[in-house]
Parts: sequence; C-alpha cells; structure tokens
Amino acid sequence: MAIILQYFLKHIWHKSKCLLLILLLPSQLFAQKKDTTKNLKEVKVSSSIPKLQGVTPSQSISSSDFDRYSALTVADAIRDFAGVNIKDYGGIGGIKTVSVRGFGANHTAILYDGVEINDAENGQIDLGKLNLNGVQQITLYNAQPDNILTPARSFASASVIAIKTIHPNLTADKPYQILLGLNGGSFGLLNPYLQWQQRLSNTWSFVVNSYLENANGHYKYKTNGDGTDTTQTRTNTDVSDQEVDGALYWAKNDSNKFNLHINYYNSDRGLPGAVIYYNPFSDERLWNRDVFLQSGYEHTWDDGIHLLLNTKLSQEYTHYTDKYFLNNSGGLNDQYTQREAYQSVALAYHLTSNWETSYAADVSFSKLDANLYNYAYPSRFTLLNALASKLTLNKWLFQGNLLNTYVTEQVRTGKPTPAETVFSPTLMVSFQPFNPNLQLRAFYKDSFREPTFDEQYYFAINNISRNIKPEYAKQYDLGITYRKAFSNWLDYVSFSIDGYYNMVTNKIVAIPNQNPVIASIINLGKVRIEGADISLKTQTKVSNGWREMLSVNYTYQYAVDVTNPNDSYYKQQIPYTPKNTLALNAGVDYNQMGLYYNQVLSSSRYFLSNSNSANYINGYGTADLSFIYKLTVGNKPLVLSAHADNLFNENYMIVRSFPMPGRSFLLSFQITI
Amino acid sequence: MKNLKLSALLITASLSLILASCHKDKDVNTAPIRITDGFYILNQGGLNANNSSLSAYSFTSKQVTPDIFRSANNRGLGDTGNDIEIYGAKMYIVVNVSSTIEVVDPHTAKSIKQIKLFNDTTAREPRDVAFYKGNAYVTSYDGTVAVIDTASLTVTKYITVGRNPEQLVVANDKIYVANSGGLDYPNYDNTVSVIDPVSGTVTKTLTVVINPQNITADANGNVYVLSAGNYTSIPSSLAIIDDNADVIKSQTNFDASTFTVVGNNGYFITSLGKVGIYNVTTQSVSNAAFVSDGTVITAPFAITANASTGEVFVTDAKNYTSDGQVFVFDKTGKQEYVITVGINPGKIALINK
Repeated sequence: MAIILQYFLKHIWHKSKCLLLILLLPSQLFAQKKDTTKNLKEVKVSSSIPKLQGVTPSQSISSSDFDRYSALTVADAIRDFAGVNIKDYGGIGGIKTVSVRGFGANHTAILYDGVEINDAENGQIDLGKLNLNGVQQITLYNAQPDNILTPARSFASASVIAIKTIHPNLTADKPYQILLGLNGGSFGLLNPYLQWQQRLSNTWSFVVNSYLENANGHYKYKTNGDGTDTTQTRTNTDVSDQEVDGALYWAKNDSNKFNLHINYYNSDRGLPGAVIYYNPFSDERLWNRDVFLQSGYEHTWDDGIHLLLNTKLSQEYTHYTDKYFLNNSGGLNDQYTQREAYQSVALAYHLTSNWETSYAADVSFSKLDANLYNYAYPSRFTLLNALASKLTLNKWLFQGNLLNTYVTEQVRTGKPTPAETVFSPTLMVSFQPFNPNLQLRAFYKDSFREPTFDEQYYFAINNISRNIKPEYAKQYDLGITYRKAFSNWLDYVSFSIDGYYNMVTNKIVAIPNQNPVIASIINLGKVRIEGADISLKTQTKVSNGWREMLSVNYTYQYAVDVTNPNDSYYKQQIPYTPKNTLALNAGVDYNQMGLYYNQVLSSSRYFLSNSNSANYINGYGTADLSFIYKLTVGNKPLVLSAHADNLFNENYMIVRSFPMPGRSFLLSFQITI
Repeated sequence: MKNLKLSALLITASLSLILASCHKDKDVNTAPIRITDGFYILNQGGLNANNSSLSAYSFTSKQVTPDIFRSANNRGLGDTGNDIEIYGAKMYIVVNVSSTIEVVDPHTAKSIKQIKLFNDTTAREPRDVAFYKGNAYVTSYDGTVAVIDTASLTVTKYITVGRNPEQLVVANDKIYVANSGGLDYPNYDNTVSVIDPVSGTVTKTLTVVINPQNITADANGNVYVLSAGNYTSIPSSLAIIDDNADVIKSQTNFDASTFTVVGNNGYFITSLGKVGIYNVTTQSVSNAAFVSDGTVITAPFAITANASTGEVFVTDAKNYTSDGQVFVFDKTGKQEYVITVGINPGKIALINK
C-alpha cells in the first residue's frame, strides 16, 4: 500500500496538480478579460469533429496535431494511442518498435500511402526512423482498414498503421508552396527540413520532402544497481540522417489518378548499446542506406469497376560494426542487403448499392544477401489472394474477407523452409441501434506472421532448415463507439471502448544454446491476451479566442504465457507488457497560441518471463509541455514552437539496460512561402 | 465551469490508473546471511541484462538465498557471470561482459575487491579462473591469461595465449589453457597453451580438434580437453594429454557439451541432454545414462559432483530466459532434491569441498 501511495505521489499527484493549473489558468485570465475588454476578434475555425469510427477500431492523428504531442517521428506521434506499447531503446537514434494489443511488432503492418514497408530480415520496422516530415495523417487500425479496395497485404496483419503523405492541393493562382523548417535543441539536435509542393499543370504536380538530421545524441542518465548512483552521460549516440522523398502526382479527375514516389534514406549512427555495469565502453555503429520506388494507380470506370494498382521496388542496405568484438579480424563487420519487388492488383465492384465486393492479389519477391559465412542467401516468393465483401443492411454492416497466403523460399546453401499455404478469415459486424452517433461493433480476425529470415537462417549453421511454422494470431473484439456534437460551449465528445481477447499460437521463440552459434529457434509459445482500449476525446468551441481540448486513452492488457502449466512462468505477464497505460493530452488555444500538456503513465513491467522482483522494471510517468505560436509575417505563415519533453526529469527505462533521456528541450521554426 | 468539468475528467482518469496500477512490493533481503556449508550457483543471466546473480544453498537450513551478492553489496554482479571458484579465504567470480573479477568473502559474498580487466578501453572479457601457489590465473577473450596475486589482488602480468581462451586447469605444476577461437567462427582455434607458472610464459602449444572449450584434469597425470568441433562436419572430441611429456595421448570423438573431472569420474552432458559418467581409471564411459529415476531435466546446463559424497549437481536452464533449477542426485542417480535458482545457472561452487 505504501508503494501505491508513493507511486501516486511521485507519478501522478504533482503532475496532475500541474495539469490542473494549466487548465485553470486560462479560465482565470478569461474571467478577467471578460470584465475588462471588449469582444476579441472572432477567429474562423473549421469544424474538426472526428468522424465516427468504422467497423474496426481506428485512431488517427494529423499533421496539425503533431506539435501537440511534441512529435518528430511516427513513434512519438502514435505513443498516446490506446492499445499501443512502444518499445523504445532511448534517445535520438534509439530504435523504437510498436506492439499493438499485446502482439509482437511483426504483427503490425506499416503502410506508406497504402503500400507496406516490409522487412523480411527481422520484420520489425523502426518507427524512430520514420520522420514526420511530409506526413499528413497516421491512422492505427486494429484488424485492418475498413475500406475493402486495398492491397491484399492490408488484410494480412493483426493491426495496421497507415501513414498518409501530403498530397498537393494547389491552384493555378499560386502554383507552388514551400515550407522551410528547423528543429533544434537538446541532444545537439539540428534538423532542417524542406517541403516543396509544385503544381505543373491541371493534371500534374509534385511534392519533394527532404531533411537533414544531425545530433550528438548525448544525454544524462542514472544507473541503478551498480552501486554508483551517479549521473552519467550516454555516449556513442551520434546520429546523422538524410532523407529525400519525391512524389509525382497525376490526376485527370478523382476516378483516374496516378502517383510515383522515390525515396532515399541514409543514416549513420552510433549504437550506445546496453548500459553494462562496470564496462562503459561501446563502439557499435549502424549504417542504413535505403532506396525505394513506389507507384499507385487508381481508376474507377463508369460501370462501377474500381481498380487499384500498387508497385514497389526497394533496397535496404545495413552495415553493422562493433570494433570491441574480440575476434581475429578486429571486430564485427556485417553487411546485409535486402531487396524486394512487389506488385498488387485490387478490384472492387458494387454488386448492388449496398453490397460491395473486392478481390486483391499481391505478389512479392524478397531476397537477403549477407556477408556471413556459409549464409543461406534466402529468397522468398509470396502470393496473397484476398476476397472481401461489405454489405450494409439498414443499421447493420457486415464485412468479411478470406485471405490465402502462399509462401515458398529458396536458399543457396542448406535447406529452405517448406512451402506453406494458409487461409485466414476475418469477419466484422457493426450495428447502429438508435442513431448514427452510436455504434456497436465486433470483429474476429485470423492472421499470422511469417518467420523472418533472421529467425530461419541467421547462424543456421547446421544447414538444416529450422522449419519454423508461421506464428498465428487470433483476435476477438467487441466495442462501442460514440460521438456527439453539442450546441453549447462544448464542441464535441467522442468516446470508444473495446474489449478484446487475443490468442497467439506457435509463438516463435529463440532458445539460445550454450554456444550462441547453435542458437535454435522453435515454435513453442502460446500467449493469451485479454484487454481493453478506452478513448475519450473532447474540445470546447472557440469562445473569445479560447479553446480547450482533451484526449485520454487508457489501455489494459492482461497478456499471459499459457504455453505449459509446468513452466515457472505459466500464466504470468509476458515481458515488456504493462497492465495499465494511460495517455493524456490536454491543451488550450488562445487565438494563435497554444499550450499543450502530454502525459504518458505506464505501470510496471517485467523484462523476462518470470514476474518476480529480479525481472521487475518500475512503472513511469513522463510529461511533455508544448507551446505553439502561429503568426503571419508579411503574409507568410510562421509557426514557432517550444517543447519540454520529460518535463519532470523522470529517470526511467522501457527496455532493461537502456535508460531513457531525462528532461530535454526542442525549439521549432517553420515558415510557409 | 467548463474547466471544472474537464478537470474532473482528468482527475477521474488519473485515479482510475492509480487504482488499477497496484503492484507488488519488491522482496528485499536485508539481514546479513552467512553460508557455512552448501554451495553457490552462479547464474549467468541474459546478455545485456546485467542480471547475473549468485544464489546460495545451505545444507543445514535447506534454504536458497537468491541474489546474495546484491544483498551483501547493494549492487549487482553485472553482465554474464561465467566462473566461480573458492581459493583460500576468498571466492572469485569471473564476470564476462562486465569484464570484472569480483573477489568476495566465501561465506557472506561480501565484496573484498573488484578487479577490472581492461586493455585501455577494450574489455578483456574474462572467462575462467584457476589457482596455483598464491596466484589466480584468469583467461580472457582477448587472448590473454591474467596473473593475479591473491594476496594483493592486483594483476601482475598478462600472458598471451591463443584466440578466445575458455577454460584453464592446473596439472603437474603447469597451467593448460583451451584456446577456442570461438569468436572467429568458422576459423576456430585448435590449440592448448601450456604455461610454466614460474617463468609465466607459454612453454608449449599442443594441437587438438578445433574449438577446445572444456579442460579438466585427473589425479593420474591426464588432462582432458573437450573440443566442440564446428557443429557440422567436425563433431565434438575429447583429447587426453599426458601432463608429463605434454603430448596428446589420444583424441576421440566424444558426444558432450561439458566435461568435468571430480575424483575418479568425469561428469558430462550429451548433446541429447543425457548425464553421463566417464571413468578416468579405465578411460571409458562407465554410465551413459546416470539419471536412474526418470527425472526430466529440460536443458541441462552445468554439472559437478561432491567428491566425498558422490552427489551429482546438474543445473537446468529451462528456456534460458526464466528461472533455472539445480537437481541434486545421489551417487546412484536418484534425485535427492531440486532447488530453484536464477537465470542460466552456469557454474556451481561447493563450500568446504
């Protein structure tokens, strides 16, 4: 009980007091103003009432809100979402992966303008690598997007994070728009960026997004457990990134359009590694050089046939070095090149006005080369076929799809994994019992993830295929979503609650041997997840320039290992999964100014399978404060913002041995020409 | 008014989290514990997790004291404890990734000194320790054997041996070092360095099957070297060295992942997880399936025996990420008791052995 109280005091009390202060402050000012000044100039605000969620739970954030969350990367932008658990290794260059509703990162597909960012090597996308420059909106869908005209890959994961980039929307009067910005602050961060939108003709336009990011990445941290209790500085954390994304758009009209993306990303960073007691030296480095070409074509014919084509070619080069590795050649020097070719065809047709059906076929070919001894050089051919249907009957909506996956692999040495055919069904239903503002929904979804090339072939030196089967995920969800616009001071309230029950079977588990070289990986685990996601979002109308907004997301996850009753960790919480997470964002706008407070609270976790004190990681609470000022200088819109992240300098870690940064500051400047 | 409403919402939300985020108090052992009979288990922990720990078991109380090093010293052992030995009135714990030798009191685990093994900013990564005439000899992955004066607890010399040496053993007034070259996969080392402790130099280098890791000696003038091979075309193999002439007497394929001689027996674990006994007098396997009562050991990890009672101690690493166990068998292979220890129990040190 004392601990609870302590937790209360330390993590919540002074923070919520502070929160109250922030929220109360404007009202005091407001009250004073009312007495002394006349009405302020009314500011035109377009309605921002969120749409009612679809048949699957979804949460969105758009570019106008990124500043409220002090977000520079996709990982920062989505960390408040219900059901989301970001595994963060800390700092500017620290890897950040996402787990949704208790599933491993490999079960979440990241779509970039509708096309998956695939990683056949280890299946985990570093969301910290995905800069928000050029991003219009990010949406997390549990199960899948509710649109059925989509590549088959969108149906293939337990959840989907869809990243939508900015599309040009310019007129002939002003055929261009240039956005220049600079982020800088703690960690020695200097991050200039540029966005150039250009209208070329009635049908053609382009957008170029690019940025440079440089940082020494240094931050202070405290080690617990080595008896020192002194503050140290995290080193070997330097980051140097560059990215250019060029997108060309052609649109004859809404039903006949084409786009082409060319993206180049280059990164050179130090990996500070785990904080090892008594051994502060680390010299691991990672280089990434990624290129992709992506195109999409969409056409709707007069007879109602709707076609969507997507193509992607990508190459990802990774170079890892560790000079402290005590081999004869003076360290580790591993290089990997991953290539993929992907084509998707999707067709949709309205059989009747309330019944739409679609078919999608995706083919992909991935290949991994590595400079490892006796490496398998695996390549994988995947064919996905998805048949989907959506039927609306009065207040009911029924949607379902059946996905067929065929995977086959080839290797240069050793034996490939046998070919596999899997059928995965999804069923969804929603019902609006009283009015269109309230919806009940339910879904069942079957999905799986392929074993990654690393799991199958990394140091598979016996040249015997590990023969790993896919890892299966089953989801059941039941939820209510509600939204209401008000005619009084309150603008709207939107609320949703979902309860879910998930099962992971054939979980892929690495079992290291005494010699790391003969690590074996097998399908062993079974995990059961019972959880709830609750979201609340509300804001007031603008009144005398003032507006207040609040969003709260709460996640409950009881995720336990149910592999074998004889295991000492049977029915214990799986590693790195907090039972309770609360994320809160509250703010006020006053004319062109905004002040926002973001709070993430996470309960304790265990870093290994046994829920015992040796594996315990403390819960944490971090708060960020953002101030935004929008002004116009010589008819050029300007945005200035200042952010204090981890405002209360909480000393915490998400991943064992990887301390997170304390308080840090970020200043941003942006001008639109 | 509207602010009050929002504030009320905030408070409710915060409170709901507090109510839901109840967590258990951590177990904290504060009373000093003195272990006078029994054994220590050095748990490696997981890589990068700084969770190597020392468990102590007392024959008298039949109790396990978990993480006794932390409770005695208010700090952790660090990352991957690899070897533990008692010599005289001190116990030596070799911690690989942290690159330290923790010298502690063998009854309380109270720290006497922490010796750091670094070559400028390069961690030497120590692996194993053996003793001879007041000196501790410690192999490190950087290809050295450190000589530590057990009185002053300072490193007096580094002797260069082969690549990535693993275990070492003292026999016939000499020190034998197994050079694995394990970090140079697939180009393993295949040598045993013979050190003359008086001059502190390597006097002879013997060639064995590639990837030698375990080295142990009997009282009859034999040094046993177990090579792991390359896990594919070259199987594991046992070399026997005559410690007089320092020549290889025999080299035979031998299915074992670890091999330890105590008294007249060599105790080993096979690739299929069976516990076997090798008779050093007849130089043949005397019992290929020692466990006689059907006890199932999920992942046998380390093995040792009590010379006086003939009891055999086998650690079980389970799934290598959860708490391990130690099974104790009588000399006929029947389980006497089992205790739960830390993660990856890799080495046992008997007190008063």
